Amino acid sequence: MKKNNSVASVEMPRGLSLSPSQDQLINGILRDYLEKCPAQLILLAELSGQIISVQGETGKTDLVALGALVAGDMAASQEIARLTGQYQHSQLIFREGPETTSFITEAGDSMVLYMRIHKEVPMGWARLIILEANRKLAEVASKPAEDVEKIDLQLSDEKLENLIGDGLDSIWHE
Amino acid sequence: MYINWQLRELNLKIVYYGPASSGKTTNLEQIHRRVDASHRSDLVSLKTYEDRTLFFDFLQLELGKISGLTPKIHLYTVPGQVRYEEIRKLVLRGADGVVFVADSTPVRANDNIIAWHDMKLHLRSNNLSMDRTPIVLQCNKQDTLGAMALVEIKYMLHVQNLLGFPAIAVNGEGVLDTLKAITRSVITKVQHETAYA
Repeated sequence: MKKNNSVASVEMPRGLSLSPSQDQLINGILRDYLEKCPAQLILLAELSGQIISVQGETGKTDLVALGALVAGDMAASQEIARLTGQYQHSQLIFREGPETTSFITEAGDSMVLYMRIHKEVPMGWARLIILEANRKLAEVASKPAEDVEKIDLQLSDEKLENLIGDGLDSIWHE
Repeated sequence: MYINWQLRELNLKIVYYGPASSGKTTNLEQIHRRVDASHRSDLVSLKTYEDRTLFFDFLQLELGKISGLTPKIHLYTVPGQVRYEEIRKLVLRGADGVVFVADSTPVRANDNIIAWHDMKLHLRSNNLSMDRTPIVLQCNKQDTLGAMALVEIKYMLHVQNLLGFPAIAVNGEGVLDTLKAITRSVITKVQHETAYA
C-alpha cells in the first residue's frame, strides 16, 4: 500500500462514504418518491443501521432506533431467505397493517430503504415505486465520490483519538 | 462505518460480544444511565419473554463536534445464548470494533473460550479479519467469588497482547474505560486506513 496523506485520495476500505453531491442526490430521490407515491415516511439507512436520510412525517418516531431496527429486520429476512434457499437481490419485506403498510428493501450493496404508506395507496404501485427508488439510490451510491477532495475531515489529526476519549469523559456522569 | 462528508459525520459501529449472561446488556444499560440524555439515544432492546436478549440491544452516542468532526458511536450487543448463533453473525456485520465481554467466574471459563472462537468464526464470515478489527477484552464480574484475573483470562484465550480491563459492569466499574479504549482503537484504525488508502 502506498502512503498518501492528501484528502483527495481518501478511500474507505470498508463501509459507506457519501460525498455532498451524492447526499444531495439521495435527498432529492427520496423527496421525489415521497411525493410520487405518496408515502408518509421514507428512511434510508446504511446496512448496519446508521441513518443516511429521512423524508416525510417523522412525528415522534425515534429515527435512530428505527434505522437500527430496519437494518436488523433486513438482515434477519435475508438470512431467512438464505437458509430456505430463496435468497435473491432486491428482496422486499412487506408488512401490512390496518392503517398503514410498510416496505423494506435493500438499496444496492450497502443501504436499506424503508417506506411507509397509507392504506389507500395501491400496494402494487407502492411496490413499483420502492423498487425504482432502490435502483436509483444504488446507482448514486455506486458512483465514485468526486467532490470530497474539497473537504478535510481532519482524520489525520494526531490528537483525535485523545479528543474523542476526552469527549466521552465529558458526557459521562459517575 | 459510514461517512457523510457534507455533515462531517463519522458513524462507527461497536459490538459487545461474549457468552450468555456475561454482562453485555449491562454495559449498555450503564452507558445509557450515565450518559446525559442529550448525547445518547434511547436504549433499544429486543428481548425474549424471559428478559434475555433475542436479537440485539442498541444505543447511539453523540459526542458533538470534535476537531471539526461529528462522531456518532453505535453500540450493539449480540444475544449470548447458544441457539442465537446466526443472529450473532448478523449483528457483527459491518462492525468497526468489538468488545469481548468475558465472564470472570471460574465455572464460565469454557463458555468464554467457546464464545471467543465463535466470534473469530463470525468475524471471518463477515469478511472482518481478527488482525484488522480492533478488539478490547473486558473481564466482567470481578466481584464474584474466586473471579479469574484479567491476566488469567488473557492467557486462557491466548490473547496476552490484547488490551483488557477488569470490570464490575453492574456497578459501572470498567464500563467507561472499556468504551474509551475500543473507541480510541477504532479511531486509530480509521486514521491508519485513511492515511494509507
